[in-house]
Amino acid sequence: MSEKEAEEMLLEMKEKAELMVDLAYSSVIYDSRDLAEEVYELEEFIDVLNDKFQQLAIRDVKNDELEVNDALAMIQLAICSEMIADGAREIADIELRDVELHPVIRESILESDEVFVRTTIAPSSVLNGKKLGDMELASKTGMWVIAIKRNGKWIYDMDKNTVLKEGDIVFARGVKEGIEHFSALAEGNEEEI
Amino acid sequence: MGEMKEPRWKEAEFEEIEYEPTSIKELLVEMKNISELMVDLAYSAILFNSSDIAEEVRYLEVHMEKLNYQMRMMAMLAARTTEDAEKLSGILQMAEAAKMISGAAGDAVKLLSVKLRHPLLPRLLKESDEMIRKMVVGGNSAAIGNNLPGLRVASETGVRVIALRRGNKWFYSPKNIDLKKGDVVIGVGPEKGLEHLVRFFNGETEVLE
Repeated sequence: MSEKEAEEMLLEMKEKAELMVDLAYSSVIYDSRDLAEEVYELEEFIDVLNDKFQQLAIRDVKNDELEVNDALAMIQLAICSEMIADGAREIADIELRDVELHPVIRESILESDEVFVRTTIAPSSVLNGKKLGDMELASKTGMWVIAIKRNGKWIYDMDKNTVLKEGDIVFARGVKEGIEHFSALAEGNEEEI
Repeated sequence: MGEMKEPRWKEAEFEEIEYEPTSIKELLVEMKNISELMVDLAYSAILFNSSDIAEEVRYLEVHMEKLNYQMRMMAMLAARTTEDAEKLSGILQMAEAAKMISGAAGDAVKLLSVKLRHPLLPRLLKESDEMIRKMVVGGNSAAIGNNLPGLRVASETGVRVIALRRGNKWFYSPKNIDLKKGDVVIGVGPEKGLEHLVRFFNGETEVLE
């Protein structure tokens, strides 16, 4: 694989694994079985990607196209993402097994440094019809959009061209102080991003 | 430098576990916070080739094990009925997941000992949505004398400040520290937010909003 390909695969694993943790916590807070199922599917996807990556790295070493130490470092990074993904799966597992949820679980997630919010885009919202890339929500509100549920379907591979639409159920991750601003924007109670 | 002292994580490694009454909720909040901080710190340690930060990651990993023991003790004591036991098993599962994530971060910093011809992480993280950046608080910044929550850094810029270095001393996840000129701050967040924070620390902008 080329250096570029290796970087792309590693970055995808890193970002997906971290997203999975966010989705897993959200599935528990909002008691969302289908979100937890998404986490399981993503975990399988990362496993496959990780195996493929390791095979490619080893092959490249064999063909003298990659230094042993570089390969080792890259494989270690891939494994690190894979372990984070496993952690996310363990969280989603709580939701999927229908374990009676202790209220402390939800409270502790919402009292920690990284919190979550779920809100719906109102027709009058300033976010309605706008591209994520044009709004800089993360730097202005402290909240990252991690998933959108639109017409019963999950979208979590958003990019800067993803447009928010009325009726979208938006899941976001961020800081406590950002929730109010973010929700007000989505619900049409605040104009200024 | 030159001081032959055992690293803090080594000292804490097999510390005796003793029952300490702690709230299960507080333990869970702490474990979740630490697991996330550790991932950010691990990438920063590799990116800036910092053995200080790596050592903190190792320490937190060991500390996490201790918290997990405490969590199990508290959960066992809290169970009175079979229903309690079922509910508490979910809590233990969450704690275990946080420990797994912290283990991933702990493994990642072992990369520091591998000598690479061209470090990969700087290129990798440049393409990432969330970036890591080192910043210095300048003499003209309105940040001086204020702490990070007071400045609303997280909500105004989306940046999490994960570490602060003052002279030779590091503070991790600093919250109650009033910023001083020359403080080195490591932030994780969106590119635009980081740029904004840099301007604020440089004194180029008076307010964060």
